[in-house]
Amino acid sequence: MIIRFELNGRSAAWEVAPGETLLEALRRHEITSVKHGCDTASCGTCTVLLDGKPVPSCAVPAGRVDGHALLTVEGVPDTARRLGEHMAAEGADQCGFCSPGLVMSMIAMVEELNDPTDDEINAYLAGNLCRCSGYVSQTRAIRRYLEVTS
Amino acid sequence: MGVHTYHKPKSLTEAADLLAADKTSAIIGGGAYLRLGARKFETAIDLFDAGLDYIRETDAGLEVGAMVTYRRLETDPLVRAYADGVLAKAVERIVGVQMRNIVTVGGTVFGRYAFSNLTTALLALDADVVLHGAGRLPLSEFVSRKPDRGDILGAIVLPREGGRAAWQDLSRTRNDYAVLNVCVAGSDEPRVVVGARPGVARLCPDASAAMAAGGDDAPARAGEAAAAELDFGDDLRASADYRRQLCRVLVERAVKEVLS
Repeated sequence: MIIRFELNGRSAAWEVAPGETLLEALRRHEITSVKHGCDTASCGTCTVLLDGKPVPSCAVPAGRVDGHALLTVEGVPDTARRLGEHMAAEGADQCGFCSPGLVMSMIAMVEELNDPTDDEINAYLAGNLCRCSGYVSQTRAIRRYLEVTS
Repeated sequence: MGVHTYHKPKSLTEAADLLAADKTSAIIGGGAYLRLGARKFETAIDLFDAGLDYIRETDAGLEVGAMVTYRRLETDPLVRAYADGVLAKAVERIVGVQMRNIVTVGGTVFGRYAFSNLTTALLALDADVVLHGAGRLPLSEFVSRKPDRGDILGAIVLPREGGRAAWQDLSRTRNDYAVLNVCVAGSDEPRVVVGARPGVARLCPDASAAMAAGGDDAPARAGEAAAAELDFGDDLRASADYRRQLCRVLVERAVKEVLS
């Protein structure tokens, strides 16, 4: 079946299978920033923004995005680079597998929360797991990013 | 996902027609567990665009559409102002924001999940479910009856006045499912509900009566009564004995909070 939607600000029309997940469809169409992690909607590395809201693309049927807007790291290269620089400066970026999902959650968090406390940041990003660094250096990088961008 | 045909109807009526026309069809909820189960759907009906993501105050009470997500519940001002914000407290620590942006009220209630925090809270608040066609019935009745293939859950309705309520649960990590969950609502006609026992949430008549009787020792007596009247089981999260002790303590705390 054909789905028509907005992908990173441009209109797209894709052929997808009825049982395909959004994650599978994205990677098949070479949107490879979106990583295939736990496949149980727990790890957050496949996070994309559907109509501005962060969702795990592994748990969204591809057909659902028909008529809606989707944003991935490919659509926000400048934000991704800036956040990546803060992550690297704080030693928070090791294998990098969780970074694209974290960037998308961060973008949604900045939209939703005004001047968040550390507790609010931790609660908002609890669905983005990192198995390399722990979260202290990441939280420092996010703080720095928020300070510089606000 | 074992799906051969996928539909995204624009209304409940259209969804009901699709469901009736094809015996192999089924409604999917938010979709969080679609890949985790073995169930195959010949035809999946996704209510995402069926206009069921509303929260509104009506003469009947606070109406919550079936496709309202947990994230919406935890951030909506009407829900946060209702019954001491107990619905937000019940869902706000489940996994992460992404997961809570797809898990729906309707998918949870219809799935009759035993581990559910939300079902416990909704039972305590004496919610009704609204089925397309069949109309409104108490949630307590809906969870204990057999699913009917033609049922489509359109909304849940909470009583106009939320009153006092309290939430208690315990989980092994901050974002895990609860080992046990407790919701207590209403000070005049109190309802004590315990879920994740690990069986499905149950109203506790004896504990509710102990709370209604009042007195300084009402919280402790309600806790004892709930621990005595319910069945508990073992699973990977905790043993039945542990849950029984936890039940006594969490019910006591919740009752104390509502009576304070």
